[in-house]
Amino acid sequence: MVRTPTLTFHRGTLILHPPPRSKVWMDFATWDDRVEKFRIPAIQYRPLVESLQGDSVNFVDDARAFYPIELTSTLQMEPYIHQTEALNAWKLAGRKGVVVLPTGAGKTYLAQMAIQSTPRTTLIVVPTLDLMHQWYAHLVAAFPDTEVGLLGGGSRDRTPILVATYDSAAIHAETLGNLYAFVIFDECHHLPTDFNRVIAEYSIAPYRLGLSATPERTDGKHSELNFLIGGEVYRKRPSDLAGKALADHEIIQIKVKLSQRDRHRYDELLKIRNDFLKQAKISLGSIQGWQYFVQMSARSPQGRKAMLAHREAKEIAMGNNGKLRVLADILTKHYPQRVLIFTADNATVYRISNEFLIPAITHQTPVKERHQILTKFREGEYKTVVASHVLNEGVDVPAASIAVILSGTGSVREYTQRLGRVLRKGKDKEKLAILYEVIAEDTSEEGTSVRRRGDEPRRHKGHEGKERLEVVNGGKRGSLRVAEQMEINYSTDKPEI
Amino acid sequence: MLPTDLLIHRQNGEEIIPKRVNVDNKNLAIALELINCFQESVGKTLRELDNKLSDLEGETIDYKFKRGLAYILKSSFATFEIVSPLEPEMLRNRVFALAAQSLPCRKSTEETINRIADELSLELEKEVLPLQVRNGLYADLAENKILTIFDTPTPQDLLHRYNLSQVQGIFYKASQLILNAHRNVPGEYKLLFRYLKLFQLMAYIEGDADHGFTITMDGPTSLFNPSTRYGLAIAKMIPALLHVTKWSLAATLQVKDFYSDTWKTGRFTLNSECGLVSHYSPGKPYDSMLEESFAQRWEALKTEWVLEREVDLIPIPGSVMIPDFRLVHPDGRSFLLEIVGYWRPEYLQKKFSQVRRAESSNLILAISERLNLEKVGININDVPARIIWFKEKLLPKSVLAIID
Repeated sequence: MVRTPTLTFHRGTLILHPPPRSKVWMDFATWDDRVEKFRIPAIQYRPLVESLQGDSVNFVDDARAFYPIELTSTLQMEPYIHQTEALNAWKLAGRKGVVVLPTGAGKTYLAQMAIQSTPRTTLIVVPTLDLMHQWYAHLVAAFPDTEVGLLGGGSRDRTPILVATYDSAAIHAETLGNLYAFVIFDECHHLPTDFNRVIAEYSIAPYRLGLSATPERTDGKHSELNFLIGGEVYRKRPSDLAGKALADHEIIQIKVKLSQRDRHRYDELLKIRNDFLKQAKISLGSIQGWQYFVQMSARSPQGRKAMLAHREAKEIAMGNNGKLRVLADILTKHYPQRVLIFTADNATVYRISNEFLIPAITHQTPVKERHQILTKFREGEYKTVVASHVLNEGVDVPAASIAVILSGTGSVREYTQRLGRVLRKGKDKEKLAILYEVIAEDTSEEGTSVRRRGDEPRRHKGHEGKERLEVVNGGKRGSLRVAEQMEINYSTDKPEI
Repeated sequence: MLPTDLLIHRQNGEEIIPKRVNVDNKNLAIALELINCFQESVGKTLRELDNKLSDLEGETIDYKFKRGLAYILKSSFATFEIVSPLEPEMLRNRVFALAAQSLPCRKSTEETINRIADELSLELEKEVLPLQVRNGLYADLAENKILTIFDTPTPQDLLHRYNLSQVQGIFYKASQLILNAHRNVPGEYKLLFRYLKLFQLMAYIEGDADHGFTITMDGPTSLFNPSTRYGLAIAKMIPALLHVTKWSLAATLQVKDFYSDTWKTGRFTLNSECGLVSHYSPGKPYDSMLEESFAQRWEALKTEWVLEREVDLIPIPGSVMIPDFRLVHPDGRSFLLEIVGYWRPEYLQKKFSQVRRAESSNLILAISERLNLEKVGININDVPARIIWFKEKLLPKSVLAIID
């Protein structure tokens, strides 16, 4: 009796058994002694199936648990030109790849358009609980007749459209892998880490879309997105869109002098640290130097003392009283305009919250409560919100026109995204957003601020932004409409059989 | 188990040696000091506890050791809860709403707190102090939670747990583990494989009962690339392994080299003489009374056949069968004996499908007459094994009759 070759899914991998007569599958498969069958990485599903189909191999696909869904959208807007262009570029690339758009350029709506034109079970992966609830709210509004669910923050749904955090999706990667035909990676620079990459690797999803304002990672791992999602298919910079979807903004940097006492203590601490570094011949300029310092601090009492001094000095530099005085001044000046305050650490967030009675959002804030706080902020009941890293990425807070950064961590991405928050264009067309950056003078903070603004230290950004279009890897092959039918055909350029 | 930043190990060529503290007076004193610190902090906030702990650390260089002990105490022996007479979220709602009506500054902060305290005093008909409002505002933050229960371990237990956690931590970076289970009676493999299954690890088994087995453990995708994805599961399995007798293992580790930013392969070995102490409860020696009473009756029997328990592993693609007993004769003959007592239909179907796939020529199945095998769709003529039917109890005589 000859059985038909069957493709099954097993915890992030595919098993093809019994092996087909044709040889095309052999490039993908590895013999597994443990089960005495051939095994294939799940991410190879699409090329494998395309090869088998191309070679007219008869096989049963038991791996696939995703399915077409009926989607009727009730939320239709006139897309911006860049949204239509991005969608077309992505379709032409075979419905896989990364779209780079600045924060506030309507990535969620672009994703909605992509889901509508690829009507299959869809998984959306997002970095934070805030974003998870924001996507959830949007998708429920867009597709009221389809079940939309959540994975993460206490929910464990398995709905045709599912919004998940990177953490939860990675933890459940082995079981999610075959349920979704389409995976959208929001803020996709979060994907290429050792922990998160399995979301893409253990998935058989033939269709993939990555979204990000800043896909570049300081560790260079963004190049792996090519393999995990697909090549970059479209890119626009904030300057390309300024004055169109985004508001103009002004950056005001305020330097705060340390008080005499703080200054004295700070110098003292730095001397302790630097004396040790000099003696141990460590330079803190590089990552290696820093690693070495950390190691030494666990090996000798002097090293330990120097590390403690370094920490205290950093604390003085970051959270000193002077900055809070400046903050009080800014709040008074702009009252009752809406102001967002960002800090680098939770302790400062709660200090500000306690001293000024301003609602705080950190990773410790319960999901429901953070929702409430943001709603009240949007509706105007709250005029200020203080947040740590959690508001960094893409969370919609349209009404804020003033942002204050109290000591940041100097990563390029964080800066753009915090900026994006204030930049979102509200109802007021003439609005000029202001970003205050409060740093301590003559402390380690200053270097951080220069790095944060990247190579574009503009004081005032006006209407100079021009329409610039970049289509990368767009490709001429294939048609736009291939996946629009309910039939599942993976290939955009199906070989003639 | 410990988080990565509290793991301590040193490198000796390719080999990694985890930190191991001696259970001596000096370390017992440190452990006791921390345990006392927790005990004294019952009823206090996590922040107060943390402050005390960091005072204990001082400027000493063994802070990582103390921090590791504290981490184990916090995660495995302590319970923290929110304690506040006023509900924090309600307080925040009211305080922030009122505060938003005036310009945020320190002066209005005080006024707002006082006003809320007055309002609540009226509403609740008891005096609410401004300080209670202040303290209650974030009583639900982790650092403000109260240590309510502390299950005091002995200092010895704590040090054993610490040493085990350091070893477990090595396996976070393990991509594969090769276990050599040496010939021994009883083998106690069932508990091990129960945990393997629980943590969804895959195993490849080679060897035989007379010489021992080599068991390679990893996960489905390990086939393509060495992956540390299964390292945590391997780490969790180690305490179960400590209940198995006579083994040695070698783990392949994927270690990031800070200077060159590349992955290097490391190696870690361990054996049953390692002296680590498991905190998992040992498995029961017998699965059922049936097995136990059979083994006892066999002891009383005068025969050359020796009864061994849990010594053989029969690999089946994707699984393993561990027969209850093995019967060995001095002349070299051997049989495997599996007792099938009272079980659910799904279990029976699985058991018999295992037997069919095991393709073992010397297997004996002792089946209870109470089982209705036909009802669950099992055709006994189809089973490649010798069958013994028994009523209430399995008698050694009937087994001897079939093998001699």
